[in-house]
Amino acid sequence: METGQPGTILIEKIEAKDQLSTPWNVIVHNDPINLMSYVAMVFMRVFGYPRAKAETLMLEVHNRGRSLVWSGGHEQAEHYVHQLHSFQLLATMEKSDA
Amino acid sequence: MTRLRVQPFDEKRIRISGIPPVLAFMLRELPEILELRDSPDAQTRLFPNPTAEDEKANDEWREVTGPELRHLFVSAGETVARDLTALTADEAAPQEHQVTFPVEHVNAWMSALNQARLILAAVHEIGDKDMNRTDFDPTSSRDVAALRIHLLGYLLHLFVELDNADEPENPV
Repeated sequence: METGQPGTILIEKIEAKDQLSTPWNVIVHNDPINLMSYVAMVFMRVFGYPRAKAETLMLEVHNRGRSLVWSGGHEQAEHYVHQLHSFQLLATMEKSDA
Repeated sequence: MTRLRVQPFDEKRIRISGIPPVLAFMLRELPEILELRDSPDAQTRLFPNPTAEDEKANDEWREVTGPELRHLFVSAGETVARDLTALTADEAAPQEHQVTFPVEHVNAWMSALNQARLILAAVHEIGDKDMNRTDFDPTSSRDVAALRIHLLGYLLHLFVELDNADEPENPV
């Protein structure tokens, strides 16, 4: 965005680059209502995961309270969180520490 | 008593059959339950934040995705409400009920059933302990809500099984 203030442009460029380069994690949180079978089905549909991986992640959500279900670019992470919300799962995204 | 089933009726339609009277009653109540989606507790659950701490990002998210998500949820509820007008006595067991609807409505049914479960849980503050209780007080609105969540969940599970049957390694 052109602001006429070089310092501001630089910061925005750095932030934009940071958004693109830092991996983002998509986290699904446990809730007592969503069925385990339903959660696994959603993982298969949204991420295209095979049943075994979807069920492993679902069990991690159930047993540990949360599971990192995907990691990658910011825009794609937003897309996945939106998809998961449309299936009524509790999903958030956060910057990866790695 | 026939068994509750969700299965293909023909190539283009799905039939839920063997619906016991109590579940038929709950299904008829579904549109009413879904109307509670705008209550504050239900809103918090159905429209969750995308981040744990970034309030600015959460506000922007709600502004951008909220209307689309709400439209999706409302549309699913309306589809199911229309389908439920065809809820009739089961041909095989007249004391039970059946309903037949286009196969394209399966996702709407899963969405509406899950929405109703989440809304009931949010409005009645149903948690893990309530879902795992084995005793039941019919005069308790929370216990009745938990029972409804379980029954609607059983029907939702049958829809998930139907979805699983479409997997290549599990041909019907």
